Amino acid sequence: MHSSVSLKVSNLWVERSERYLCKDMSFFLSSGDIAKINGENGAGKSSLLKILVGILRPLEGNIHYNNEDVSVYRDLLQKDLLYIGHDSGVKSVFTVAENLRWYFPDANDDEISLALDAVSLSGYEETPSNQLSAGQKRRISLARLWLTEKPLWVLDEPFTALDIKGVASLEKHMKEHVEKNGMIILTTHQDIDPSLNLKEINLSL
Amino acid sequence: MTYMSFIKGELLTLLRRKQDTVNALVFFLMVVTLFPLGVSPSPDFLSVAAGGIIWCAASLAILMSVESMFKEDFNDGCLEQWLVSGLSLPLLILLKTFIHWLVVIAPLLVMAPLLSEMLFLPSETFSVLLITLILGTPALFLIGTIGAALTVSLRHGAVLMLLIIIPFYLPVIIFSTGAIRAAQNSMMYDGQIAILAAISLVFLVVSPVMSAISIKASIN
Amino acid sequence: MSWTWFHKLGSPKWFFQFASRWALASFWSGVVLLLVGVIWGLGFAPEDYQQGNSFRIIYIHVPAAILAQSCYLGLGIAGFVFLVWQMKMAPVFIKSVAPLGALAAVIALLSGAIWGKPTWGTWWVWDARLTSVLVLFLLYMGVIAIQNSLEDKVLADKAVAVISVVGLINLPIIKYSVEWWNTLHQPATFKLTEAPAMPIEMWLPLLISSLGLYLFIAGLAMLRMKTEVLNRERRSGWVKDEVLKSGV
Ligand SMILES: Nc1ncnc2c1ncn2[C@@H]1O[C@H](COP(=O)(O)OP(=O)(O)OP(=O)(O)O)[C@@H](O)[C@H]1O
Ligand SMILES: [Mg+2]
Repeated sequence: MHSSVSLKVSNLWVERSERYLCKDMSFFLSSGDIAKINGENGAGKSSLLKILVGILRPLEGNIHYNNEDVSVYRDLLQKDLLYIGHDSGVKSVFTVAENLRWYFPDANDDEISLALDAVSLSGYEETPSNQLSAGQKRRISLARLWLTEKPLWVLDEPFTALDIKGVASLEKHMKEHVEKNGMIILTTHQDIDPSLNLKEINLSL
Repeated sequence: MTYMSFIKGELLTLLRRKQDTVNALVFFLMVVTLFPLGVSPSPDFLSVAAGGIIWCAASLAILMSVESMFKEDFNDGCLEQWLVSGLSLPLLILLKTFIHWLVVIAPLLVMAPLLSEMLFLPSETFSVLLITLILGTPALFLIGTIGAALTVSLRHGAVLMLLIIIPFYLPVIIFSTGAIRAAQNSMMYDGQIAILAAISLVFLVVSPVMSAISIKASIN
Repeated sequence: MSWTWFHKLGSPKWFFQFASRWALASFWSGVVLLLVGVIWGLGFAPEDYQQGNSFRIIYIHVPAAILAQSCYLGLGIAGFVFLVWQMKMAPVFIKSVAPLGALAAVIALLSGAIWGKPTWGTWWVWDARLTSVLVLFLLYMGVIAIQNSLEDKVLADKAVAVISVVGLINLPIIKYSVEWWNTLHQPATFKLTEAPAMPIEMWLPLLISSLGLYLFIAGLAMLRMKTEVLNRERRSGWVKDEVLKSGV
């Protein structure tokens, strides 16, 4: 079980390329929530996630994590964070296992093969990642979800390039995570299992 | 991700990409070769010009190897991961620069005796050449890091980077070759060496901060 | 001390109104002073007992060289202000002033070459000041190049600020190194660096032409910054009002 977490976003204004992506947006999430950001292509979903994790800066607005103000420095939030963006964050010079070790230096061989098993990459430990397909690369970054202890997951389109079995297994894992008091914020253009109890967040313009 | 796993990853990358380092060194050797061929092979000329030749060649080779330092991390999304890792970005950049410096400078120092023979550098001044290389090249790497960070989002940023960075290299080149020249004329060179060290120290502070600002601005 | 001036300076609208009032005045008074100083210097000031008439080029060269340096100092400060306080006007300043500084450096180089011919017998000497100005010119070209190469405007603003600040930190080192290098290679008799000991009839026109060049460039800079501000703030209400008012 994770200790409970909460995220409060208030009066957030986001601007990009001289265009407002959201105006005066506020929402609150707590442990056990899976939030899905809605919006068409180019609406600003990825931008919003990047702002939450501290890659981009908003025009204005406050973010509180566990009731601490993290609007300027996201350190507290990043301590609990696992972020998977559009880009895989997988190094092509590393083998699959080395990539995971880069993120989790303390993981032992068993844990790594369990995680790779979960994303059906078992047997690929020593394969250089540049020899894998797009979906397989995606799975390497998703395997991090099976190794992590972090309560806050921010996932930008985790289901792209995954096959049906992969989607189902990821959904199951996400469900377990929020049952353990975790929190997930994600974007996706796919329909996902309604039993996940999604909280929908619309970019407010 | 921890600082330790970051360092290991960088070393591993450099090991797998050793051809890049080899290329930089071969490039260095080639530039040095241009001078006897292009200007004059006479020992009189070469022994006077040796310091300058080695330093100009080293600057270009270092620029070459630093230029693409963050490119791959930028393209595969790992820079993003550095940013959200909760680790200090300037420190990560500094570590990366230091590792690159070590990996390039060590073979360079090994090549130095060979080159100084080829260029007829008087043997008494060889130690001065080594000292200037050890104290001066950190500044070149640190300054180069800023340029690499500024141009990381550009597909063809190499020329631009050379353009903005080379003027900043001038003081290092001037004082290094000045020290070597002074040693050849049996004059004091402590002053120049001290200035070299000072320049490297200044950029030890300035470079990680400025590179971090540039990288943050480049990721979007 | 009150900081309101600082915040005002950062406001594009305030700057626009300020520049509208002062740009042309500064520009034209600069032109007049420059003409007075240069004509006086070239035509009427006494000649130097060592260098004869060729020294008169300093009435153009010295102001241009000093201006080129001051502009870079300005870029560095603006870059710092932008990185620390995110003041909106700072990148506008850098973008508008960098080409003017480069221009000043070119004028200084050309006039230096013209001075070099009668004095040294060659168009170019590796004189300490000329070399410094050459490096300064290269630094300006770097700033301009990066401004024009980065398509993302936000990134471009940050990048030129970074490079200006690094340049400002480096400028004294570069200057010092070039001067040191120069003493090593050229024990020169005539240097552009040191103007001869001058009586008042000689330096008064120099002062006037320097002041004139500063005002001239300040005027030009304000005009350029005005255009840039309008372009950047085109979506804001006050710009629309401005445009309506001027009936364009
Ligand atoms: N690198 C960039 N530089 C400048 N503007 C950008 C950049 N990336 C995106 N934008 C702008 O930000 C807007 C939002 O982009 P974002 O990537 O957040 O959209 P999204 O909702 O994630 O879209 P998608 O469903 O395609 O992933 C885009 O419309 C675009 O105008
Ligand atoms: Mg997106």
